[in-house]
Amino acid sequence: MTPIADLLEQLLHGLTLGAMYAMVAAGLALMLGVARLINFAHGEFFMLGAYAFWLGYSELGLPYPIAALLAPAVMVIFGIVYQHTVIRAILPRSWHVQLIATLATSIVLTNLAIIVLGTQPKEVPTTLSARILEVGGFRIAWQRLLVLVAALVIFWGLDRFVARTRTGRAMRAMSQNREACAVVGVDVQRVTLVTFALSAGLAAVAATLVSPLFNIFPDMGTVLTLKAFAAVVAGGFGYVNGAIAASFLIGITEALAGSYISYAYKDAIAFVIMIAVLLWRPQGLFGRRIGI
Amino acid sequence: MRRAAIGALAAVVVSAPWLVAALVPRQQRYVLHVLVFTALFAALALSYDLVVGHVGSLSLAHPAFFGVGAYTAALLATRAGWPFLGALIGAALAAGVVAALVGVPLFRLTEHAFAVGTLGLALVASVVANNWVEVTRGPLCITEIPKPVLGVPGGPALAITTLPGHYWLALAALAAVVLLYRGLTTFRLGRAFHAVRDNEPLAGAAGIDPLKYRLLAFTIAATVAGGVGALYVHYLSVMCPEEMTVALTVNLLVIVFLGGVGSLRGVLVGAVLFTALPEVLRLAPTWRLVIYGTLLLLVVVRSPEGLESLLRRAAR
Repeated sequence: MTPIADLLEQLLHGLTLGAMYAMVAAGLALMLGVARLINFAHGEFFMLGAYAFWLGYSELGLPYPIAALLAPAVMVIFGIVYQHTVIRAILPRSWHVQLIATLATSIVLTNLAIIVLGTQPKEVPTTLSARILEVGGFRIAWQRLLVLVAALVIFWGLDRFVARTRTGRAMRAMSQNREACAVVGVDVQRVTLVTFALSAGLAAVAATLVSPLFNIFPDMGTVLTLKAFAAVVAGGFGYVNGAIAASFLIGITEALAGSYISYAYKDAIAFVIMIAVLLWRPQGLFGRRIGI
Repeated sequence: MRRAAIGALAAVVVSAPWLVAALVPRQQRYVLHVLVFTALFAALALSYDLVVGHVGSLSLAHPAFFGVGAYTAALLATRAGWPFLGALIGAALAAGVVAALVGVPLFRLTEHAFAVGTLGLALVASVVANNWVEVTRGPLCITEIPKPVLGVPGGPALAITTLPGHYWLALAALAAVVLLYRGLTTFRLGRAFHAVRDNEPLAGAAGIDPLKYRLLAFTIAATVAGGVGALYVHYLSVMCPEEMTVALTVNLLVIVFLGGVGSLRGVLVGAVLFTALPEVLRLAPTWRLVIYGTLLLLVVVRSPEGLESLLRRAAR
């Protein structure tokens, strides 16, 4: 393979990674913006979504599109349950309590997954992940193209949703001033609930898109939460589009560094980027004072 | 009365090896092993509480500093042939220097972001421990770390070879950490720490630089953690990357937050409960983490002061 084709392939690989991080980071940023809450269990939404997809596709033998819709639906319900049980109890509390409570949830979910599903990684190859598109010595799996196209559609849709719809506007308003929203009659509880359902759903969509390319294992959530959070911090705290852009930056850098520098240390890249951005621009790459 | 109770407790704790020998002669070794672990974890948890409980920065990087200390001591003792005390001091200094260096960029982050940044650091440290095989031997672990020998070069030396010996060494270390903890948190410095924790802008306005005091507490805590790491590897005589995973963070969070944040007695009770109890119940690690997570969730949501507040209420 020529060096150029190799570079292009790594770039595409980075874009796929970036799309995955971005879908998780966007959910984190939404929760942070609307509810002022860091959800340490966010990577576990991705992990559970991936297992829901595995269950539907590999175990129940559902066709890919149906399994890919089923997993996000399951996770939306899970997000609502999580909001009702854990989040509602900790929302009025200090950030210490919120952080430890969501971290505790993450640990419980990860270890329950290990007990129920075992540590053996699951593989979910699909027809699209096995089929390769070849253009002039340059090879790409169709599944990767699907990830990129779906990511574009999803981020465009999310942007329109937040910018145009009534609920989306309420979310933006709440990210600026929660009390004022409650005063003027925004249903704060409902908007928070929608945010959680949406964030959990986004993480599960990412899981159904990339699971055919990577393995599924119980403790993949922790690292993912951290990388997504690094993207949220680097992109400008709680600013959704900034988090998405930073996720792609992290994904591409990770793919290139993993290929050309050191594969073993690729997981450290996200934090190096985060620290570098914060030293240079403490408010993040696209940081503003307020709002999602 | 109170002084008498503390004296009696101290007598029981110091004479524990004989008590164990008399009461449970069959399981003497196992019980003493659990006691050594309890003392070391109590010291580690107290150092962690200096940051979390007294300056109010939720650091999740403590396993990294423990690991830096443990690996430094292991390498100094096996490759460079340093004596125990030298390796101990070297390990503590190494962890302290690392903390001071990473503390400068990390403390630019506030609240949640600081917590995540420190968790990232812990993760990077664990990745390095697993992959820098030329130095750490990765998953093969550093083995045959010599047992501690107390003494100065040329003078008399005391080799610690028996379990009671290890127990008393760990206990002496714990006592030193308790004194340090008391000293740092009670006097003028302690009041400055608490001012930073309770109201950062006000502390800043009163001329107490929050960054300076946070960085100071963070560095001291890391130095102690590094020292505990050195004791830990000299006791176990082996150091593996698994010793510094997120599971250790969870352990420390459980001990500190369930015991009682910012309280000497609370952290000590937490350390005894959550180091000895799972050993006695012989829980599998995954189940232990599930139970710990659930307990942590319930306690921080229901009673954020931890068991210490229950104790205080019971004492009244």
